[in-house]
Amino acid sequence: MLSVWIHMLRRRTTAAIWWAVSLAALGALLAVAYPTVRGNSELDKTFADLPPSVAALLGLSDGNLLTSPAGYLDSQFYANILPLTLLIFAVGAAAWTIAGDEAGGTLELLTTNPISRTRIAVARYGALLTLLTVLAVVCWAAVAALAPSTGLTAGLGIVRLAAATLACALLALVFATIAYAVGAATGSKPAATAVAAGLAVAGYVAEGLSHQVTALRAVRYANPWHWLLDADPLRNGLTWQSTVLPVAVSAILVIVGLAVFRRRDLR
Amino acid sequence: MQQTPIRLRGLTKRFGSLTAVDNVDLDVPAGAIMGFLGPNGAGKTTTMRLLIGALRPTSGTAQVLGADLAADVTSRRRVGYLPGDLRVDPKLTGMQLFAWYGKLRGGLDTRRVVDLIERLDLDPDRPFGTLSKGNRQKVGIIQALQHDPDVLILDEPTTGLDPLAQREFLTLLREAAARGTAVLFSSHVLPEVERIADTVAIIRAGQIVTRSTIDELLDRARRRLELRFAEPIAAGVFDGVPGVVDVQIDDHTATLTVEGAVGPALHAATSHALLVRINPAGDDLEDLFVSLYGTPTPTQER
Repeated sequence: MLSVWIHMLRRRTTAAIWWAVSLAALGALLAVAYPTVRGNSELDKTFADLPPSVAALLGLSDGNLLTSPAGYLDSQFYANILPLTLLIFAVGAAAWTIAGDEAGGTLELLTTNPISRTRIAVARYGALLTLLTVLAVVCWAAVAALAPSTGLTAGLGIVRLAAATLACALLALVFATIAYAVGAATGSKPAATAVAAGLAVAGYVAEGLSHQVTALRAVRYANPWHWLLDADPLRNGLTWQSTVLPVAVSAILVIVGLAVFRRRDLR
Repeated sequence: MQQTPIRLRGLTKRFGSLTAVDNVDLDVPAGAIMGFLGPNGAGKTTTMRLLIGALRPTSGTAQVLGADLAADVTSRRRVGYLPGDLRVDPKLTGMQLFAWYGKLRGGLDTRRVVDLIERLDLDPDRPFGTLSKGNRQKVGIIQALQHDPDVLILDEPTTGLDPLAQREFLTLLREAAARGTAVLFSSHVLPEVERIADTVAIIRAGQIVTRSTIDELLDRARRRLELRFAEPIAAGVFDGVPGVVDVQIDDHTATLTVEGAVGPALHAATSHALLVRINPAGDDLEDLFVSLYGTPTPTQER
């Protein structure tokens, strides 16, 4: 089990390092640039006139001012860039775990060893969790190291930054697990990527529009983006909605994906 | 009593409307080498993938060491498999792969691996992606043999190997059989099977059409030989020669179709004119099908 886990980590490390470096740089830039935004009240006036759906996608709903630490961090990072970036990375890695490796032809030989398909799949999911965790921690550390010196953590503290990062990672996990489960059930990497990416984009747009379009209100409770953005962990800390819900949904998806993967033909 | 290591009963696999493997019964006893012959697309690879548990049968059973490998994880420890289309993580070196798989199979036998590497002449420290086709095949062979399995399932194992490595590989197979390993290996060329197998099963459009010993098969099989002489030869040289069923003479060259032993035909050739060269002509397996069934192979795509 451990060796399958290590093998996947090795295989994905180079890519993960680049993602981590870029995200850390972005986080650091964000912290360093805050002083130029903080004193600019004109910005708040400009953004006050945005339609609610756009404001929501920017993380500026409910009077969250752009110049406040929470408004700035949400609108520039935790409500869009960070979850989207983590999501793209995680969906890519998840689509590889089974479907990508199967399409590459290297999974079949591994499965002839004395290790069950379930164990291979679980070890690979473990590696996916590890990579996502490392990325999230690096990202949090980069912001947390610089934010206090520019006043970005006023009223929040670095623990809130951790909460927001964790919630973003959990959102990425839900869509990554969709890719994982579709790949496990079908063996098709294109299907895995397309379903996960399609749902992620649709969910993001639907969550923004649901502030204006009442018809979308009913379905927002099934939308992982709503779980994250509505809970706003940066301002409110962690809630069951932004933590338990994504974890539970991911767990169910893993179980369903594995149940099919155990029985089906390899491609 | 010990069960037959490889045992197929009524094995059937359908993909949609295509029946890739159709009601196959097959036994490979311990210590036996069975050649699994058939043209491309006949169902050889599908049968082997059913055996190792990559595919699930539509009906029937594929038992290895009395177990269904898809369900029985521990029995896989005693099985070596070489896929027809071998693909390995391109960044892994041969040695890394052997170490990893050795660990999964309950411990790496370093001495055995080093011995195999030396005998097949492989550089174990080069990443798989940088190896030539022949060297990749060596990696596949070593990982299949490294744990001295009781069952070997090898899909076109000699593909890409140079003659020297091919010979060494056949020696390794004989050694494995002598230790009691049951070997099933597929091929689409007859000479290779002739050299090593005890028995042959021929599959055609998903069905086993022949099961026999090599000697029986060769007695019935027809061969085509192309004989080139130093001077033009007269018609009638091969008339009445035992085993010769067809002769075509074209100036310096005679093309013979021979059934069974080729000795009498060659004797006739060498006693009549200056024989320069003997070439096998045509596809042995196709000729075999023609002689066994009177029709060429139907092609089947999957």
